[in-house]
Amino acid sequence: MKGRRIGVYICHCGGNISDYVDVEKVREAVSKEEGVVVAKTTMFACSDSGQQEIIDDVKAQNLDGVVVASCSPKLHLYTFRGVAARAGLNPYQYIQVNLREQDSWAHTDDQEGATEKGIRLVLAGIKKAKFSTALEPIVINTKRSVLIIGAGIAGLRAAIFLADLGMDAFLVEKEAEAGGWVRKFKRLYPQEKSGEEIIKELLEEVSKRENITLFTEAALVEKTGYVGDFNVKIKAKEDVISLNVGAVIVASGFDMYKPKEGEYGYGAEGVVTLPEFKQMVEASDGKLTYNGKEVKNIAYIYCVGARQKPGVENANVYCSRYCCNAALHTSILVSEIDPSITQFHLYRDIRSYGKYELLYEEAAKKGATFVRFGDDEPPQVEKSDGNLQVRVKDLLTASQEVEMEVDLVVLVTAMIPNKTEAIASILKIPIGRDRFFNEIHPKLRPVETVINGVFIAGACQFPRNSSEAVVSSLAAASKSAALLLKGYTELEPSVATVNSEKCKWCGLCEEACPYSAIEKTEFEGREVATVNRALCKGCGACVPVCPEGAIDIEWYTDAQIRAMIEGLAKEIEVARV
Amino acid sequence: MDYDVLVIGAGIAGEEASLSLGEMGYKVLLVEKGPSIGGKMVLLSKTFPTLDCASCISTPKMAATYHHPNITLMTYADIKEVTRNKDGSFKVRLLQKPRYINEAACTACQECEKSCPVMVPDEFNFGLTVRKAAYIPFSTAIPTKAVIDIDNCILCGLCEKACPASCIDFTQLPREVEFTVGSVIISTGFELFDAEKKPAYGYGRYKNVITAMQMERLLAPTRPYNTVLRLSDGKVPDNIAYVLCAGSRDNTVENKICSRVCCMYSLKQAQLLMGVLPLADITLYYMDIRAFGKGYEEFYQQTKTMGTNLVKGRIGKIDEKENGNLILHYEDIDNGAVKKQAEHDLVVLAVGLVPNTEITEVFKEDKLLLDDSHFIKEIDEDLHPGKTSIDGVFVAGTSSGPMDIPDTIIHAAAAAGHAAVHVEKLKKGSQ
Repeated sequence: MKGRRIGVYICHCGGNISDYVDVEKVREAVSKEEGVVVAKTTMFACSDSGQQEIIDDVKAQNLDGVVVASCSPKLHLYTFRGVAARAGLNPYQYIQVNLREQDSWAHTDDQEGATEKGIRLVLAGIKKAKFSTALEPIVINTKRSVLIIGAGIAGLRAAIFLADLGMDAFLVEKEAEAGGWVRKFKRLYPQEKSGEEIIKELLEEVSKRENITLFTEAALVEKTGYVGDFNVKIKAKEDVISLNVGAVIVASGFDMYKPKEGEYGYGAEGVVTLPEFKQMVEASDGKLTYNGKEVKNIAYIYCVGARQKPGVENANVYCSRYCCNAALHTSILVSEIDPSITQFHLYRDIRSYGKYELLYEEAAKKGATFVRFGDDEPPQVEKSDGNLQVRVKDLLTASQEVEMEVDLVVLVTAMIPNKTEAIASILKIPIGRDRFFNEIHPKLRPVETVINGVFIAGACQFPRNSSEAVVSSLAAASKSAALLLKGYTELEPSVATVNSEKCKWCGLCEEACPYSAIEKTEFEGREVATVNRALCKGCGACVPVCPEGAIDIEWYTDAQIRAMIEGLAKEIEVARV
Repeated sequence: MDYDVLVIGAGIAGEEASLSLGEMGYKVLLVEKGPSIGGKMVLLSKTFPTLDCASCISTPKMAATYHHPNITLMTYADIKEVTRNKDGSFKVRLLQKPRYINEAACTACQECEKSCPVMVPDEFNFGLTVRKAAYIPFSTAIPTKAVIDIDNCILCGLCEKACPASCIDFTQLPREVEFTVGSVIISTGFELFDAEKKPAYGYGRYKNVITAMQMERLLAPTRPYNTVLRLSDGKVPDNIAYVLCAGSRDNTVENKICSRVCCMYSLKQAQLLMGVLPLADITLYYMDIRAFGKGYEEFYQQTKTMGTNLVKGRIGKIDEKENGNLILHYEDIDNGAVKKQAEHDLVVLAVGLVPNTEITEVFKEDKLLLDDSHFIKEIDEDLHPGKTSIDGVFVAGTSSGPMDIPDTIIHAAAAAGHAAVHVEKLKKGSQ
């Protein structure tokens, strides 16, 4: 490709790259490549001054291609496409080379090797840029409606928000009644409101809004289509309902860890989980009783089903976040019923983060006694002569063996992921190592998933209390609104394209396509293949199966890939020390 | 209405709220009192638990905010007054402070900075270095424009002579402007606990007692010394102590609550230090390790496995030895609660996040209520987290309480949602 004018920028990444890759050597080596008009190093290419420098060069030097060798395109591809656009270039004439994740960070032990590899990677990028052409994004008209899976507090709150912005919300709840876990409780911290009342209030708000539809005993059974224009099927009781929505919010909540038979005495009379105990406390009428007997002594055991040692089958290694605060709050409620009840809290670390520290202070003030046990020395619970005995080594009192006889043992159980497999497989969203749904990036895109237009909210992402679940549901709803309110969205044009002159329709590509994006059509009286550009993900499965070589992926054309290989394999000289 | 929403404070919360609203199609006025956006996050080294470089995550959000067609950015501007109009919208009075340079003409060539003879402690490096009176705040500042700190300027005129674009202009005056907006989001962030309020730890008296924010700067990609060293003699430390809960969970400094981030940033710095100084010993003195977020417990366990020492015990006081080393007095709680001493050559105070309440004063008619910990009060955490005592005014991020970056970002997106709904109601009402 003659006559191309390419600008190349090698980023130090403030040392992330330049500590291991000799960026000046890379610059020098690639500056001699045919078509390279500008070759520079830069401290932070992504900073505004770095971006401005590129824009100025494009304009002054009349560049028609830009290569930035910096971090992963996952981080900054869109940043620099934006730069290219502001400089008057087509964004697809920008090529990113990953010198950080794929070079400097991977080869911290071999600086010469990393530099040599860096030169090859940048050369490949330049070659690709030479074959880049102007592409236009695929424009999709978006539906102003959202499917919300789960009508607990997170789902209900998101639906009301979306309706208030003039959008349609469809809530799908698997149970016969909406409200999830929150409905089951009468006192929630920090505002001491009744969960039951909160859900009632939300359901009233929902019924006031015509643009919210609630399906109970319902589940998502099928999803086709794409961001902005999904077709979903809901099975509600006996009916199957088809809906057309622009986005999906998963707010499917959590389940509660169920201790194994015998785990801290579970199964024996008097050993209960925290949610069971909380309901008991809330139902008590001036006196706390268990099986007709008055309760005077309680031992709480923390971290049941959380912070487990890795290696055990299905170990929950994570901290379940809500439980310390919930146990402390319950302890305060018990003191309010009867301040003479003795409450032992057997813990590892009290994680009453932020303002919840005030719950810790109040529980302690009201007489709760704290006993700290080591990670390797969990308390022992035994039942003998009808009495519950708890034995534990207390780190706070010089590892003394403490023995207590109690009426109740409360196991402070962790939140665990709800049954997520069906939702995950229909929506194709990933599940993390902790078996909760995973976001794309905890800071850049915390409520978005790898599937465009599918968001996650509330405790299906990670344990959260109800107020935190509402924060994240509002965030997910805001992001859905940001996606859909405009009325259109743009998709990547790096999709398959069929050369109709070459195609002889054999159907192999149609069979190979995992997204049903290829169909038969007519061209000049012949049968040929055609691609539905909105459905195509650009995976390339159709390219090698075509016996005529008639299919190409835009932005990853055969010509570009061949040129990149040439760049990678080029003979270069790097002085080895 | 001139703008749908006014966002006050352009740290990560303000940027996220503005971008969410901008994408929804609302017109945003984003006002920052400092000369650059980015807040505290852009000054950090790496972020837990993924160890992403903070600059790498911040700078694209900063640039996206700066260039978004629906966001108007005003830096170096103070909000003076917010009052309510009859139709429910707000009138905002602002003061644009002069930069004393012609912003359009400045190319950030730094010639003024080089020529300036005045040196003052650099607030963007938390006093570890100096900056000039004519300066660009930091290398990734937005806007990347010089500013003249007139309080320290001696009017020598050297910068005027040095500037190749002739853009220094000492005749600029403060300018008052007024706008009407539909809703307000407060994202003014937090202050760091002033470690001198805890005299037993010796911060300000002992040179080798630093804050964790100073350690962030020593570890950052734009680090001032290109290595970690202690301040008394430039020695590279090999036995570093972290004092957790410095100014948090502490009645003696009137800050009872936990700051939510210090445990995790200390563990993170421990991991980074093990990379920079592989032979150094690192000890964390803690009360409880609060690794409560997604992936945090796993990060904590990994830090322990890598060899960080963890000692449960609060530091009572710190003494300085003649060679600059420090003696820490503490109670070793897990081992019989005996009083012990330990010597370290650098001490890092894991200072907490305290409220920044300046902004409450601009609301003249309705009162912006604070909570018991003096953060901006959220009046309905159950269903309207982010809603303040003033209808139409919302709070995003650490202005409402300590929180980490992931929590800040979703909190800000939620606040943006509230503001959008409020603006819609206002628009319906005026039809």
